[in-house]
Amino acid sequence: MKFDNVALVFKKDWVEISRNWQVLFPVMVVPIVFSMILPLTMLNFPSQTGALGPLQGLFSNLPGTVKALFLNFDQRQVIFYMVAVYFFAPFFLIIPLIAASVIASDSFAGEKERRTIEALLATPVSDSEMFLGKMLVAFAAAMMSTLGSFIVYISVVDTISLGLFDGMLILPNLTWLLLIFLLAPTVSLASVGLTVTISARVKGFREAQQINAILIVPILVVVFGEAWIAVILGPVTIAGLVGVFVLADLLMFLLGVRLFNREEILSKMT
Amino acid sequence: MLGIEAVGLSKTFGSLKAVEDLSLSVPDGQVLALLGPNGAGKTTTIRMLACLITPTSGTALVAGYDVLKQPALVRRSVGVLTESPSLYERLTAEENLEFFAKAYGVTDPAERRLRISHLLEILGLWERRNDRVATYSKGMRQKLAFARAILHKPPVLFLDEPTSNLDPSSARLLREEIHSMSKREGRSILLSTHRLEDVERLADRVIILRNGKLLAEGSPHEVEGRVFAGERFEVKLKAVMPEIRDRLLGVEGVKEVYVDSGAGMLNVTCESIEDVVPRVVRKLVMDGYDVLSVKEVQGSLEDAYLKLVSNDSENVRE
Repeated sequence: MKFDNVALVFKKDWVEISRNWQVLFPVMVVPIVFSMILPLTMLNFPSQTGALGPLQGLFSNLPGTVKALFLNFDQRQVIFYMVAVYFFAPFFLIIPLIAASVIASDSFAGEKERRTIEALLATPVSDSEMFLGKMLVAFAAAMMSTLGSFIVYISVVDTISLGLFDGMLILPNLTWLLLIFLLAPTVSLASVGLTVTISARVKGFREAQQINAILIVPILVVVFGEAWIAVILGPVTIAGLVGVFVLADLLMFLLGVRLFNREEILSKMT
Repeated sequence: MLGIEAVGLSKTFGSLKAVEDLSLSVPDGQVLALLGPNGAGKTTTIRMLACLITPTSGTALVAGYDVLKQPALVRRSVGVLTESPSLYERLTAEENLEFFAKAYGVTDPAERRLRISHLLEILGLWERRNDRVATYSKGMRQKLAFARAILHKPPVLFLDEPTSNLDPSSARLLREEIHSMSKREGRSILLSTHRLEDVERLADRVIILRNGKLLAEGSPHEVEGRVFAGERFEVKLKAVMPEIRDRLLGVEGVKEVYVDSGAGMLNVTCESIEDVVPRVVRKLVMDGYDVLSVKEVQGSLEDAYLKLVSNDSENVRE
């Protein structure tokens, strides 16, 4: 594999995407909702009311060390801490999935719809170079979106926590750093690999998105559940999950390249 | 040297035989034109030879490389002008060419810049080089796609409808480029087109396909000769009756007679104009017809093509 060719496909797609508002819009809106609008609403509400409410279940699952920490907090601080540190954590695995899904779905399916795929397939760029280049574009956009969201989110959380905890900044902690810098990328790569594979095998962007939704939603449910458990159980569990997803990434890439067939891609050109 | 050599190429899509047992060769410096109606198998043939799809059976060498065993080397050695321009509309003309030049291995930046600027200039796109392709007319896109196909100076070119969407002067410009690449630079060119004007001006040889099968092959002149076996002349009469056909078929040397009553024209195919014209004129005058003129007719490739593709039973392959 020549990485120059991977970079070439990456750069071409990156420039194209940066000029395509239909693709950029969801990539930008989703992080704003998850990192700013939802947190501002939810973090302010319980801190005003002081009611544990639906967080009771989450509270009862927390390990003893965390519950011990809560002994020093009042009710409002406990609720804020639980929402900020635990409740929102899984959303940061959803952000890269959603952000990547639009770009990854467009990768090959969009080229088929715009009838640009034939010239690309006629080049000497190899299957794996083309596939990896397309994967990395969606992955890079997803991670930029996630990191941007993370920065905004910790700014929102810490701005509130400064007043609520007498100058204490509650984020980032080790668990969140592992979540953002290790788990989110590996989860995102697996999802991107799957979506690019789908995109290469369907006729158009919409079809790719629909199949993506059907396949990704169950994964999201699992990821959501796992993430809560992982965040609650701490860094070791996250490291274990990262290992699992690294393997999944590798398998998705190999499967995607194996299923990559120029003739089939051309036959699906509308 | 043969730039392209294919033997027994076939391609089946489900139950559809898109190309059936096609053999062809294009020596260096020659242009072979593929002619045929829509669905004849021209684009499928090009796609097989450009390693975009795999033949169901048969083999081919392109630029000396096997399309089945060395597809990456084949792709590196060919330039493909696809049926649709296949350009990135959100990129500028320069960005499009930069991308494809790098993809085809033109790694030296100075060389790349030189080739891109040269092509944009000769094709009249230099002033619009920084505009996105989305703002280009169909003709401009076609020219840019042509530039992309020849950018890396491949020894073998596959050109699918190169002059479609072009105005007459642009079409002439592209024809001159194609001619120059073939004759001066010695490249092998496979040209698929509906434009018989392109074939007559560019092609050294022509293959006529219908339903994936080869109907005729040879130089344009040979194909015409094969379809219209014999010489032809037209006779203009003051008035003509349909029964004249049977009378003239009885004249020695006359092979076929077409009667156009409305125009008062007879189209006669014969063995030798020199011998048959006097006999036919004599017969017409003796039967009371007023002969206004007699003119020799050169069979055109267009006539031959139309006759071939519209005749289901006849097969003039040689």
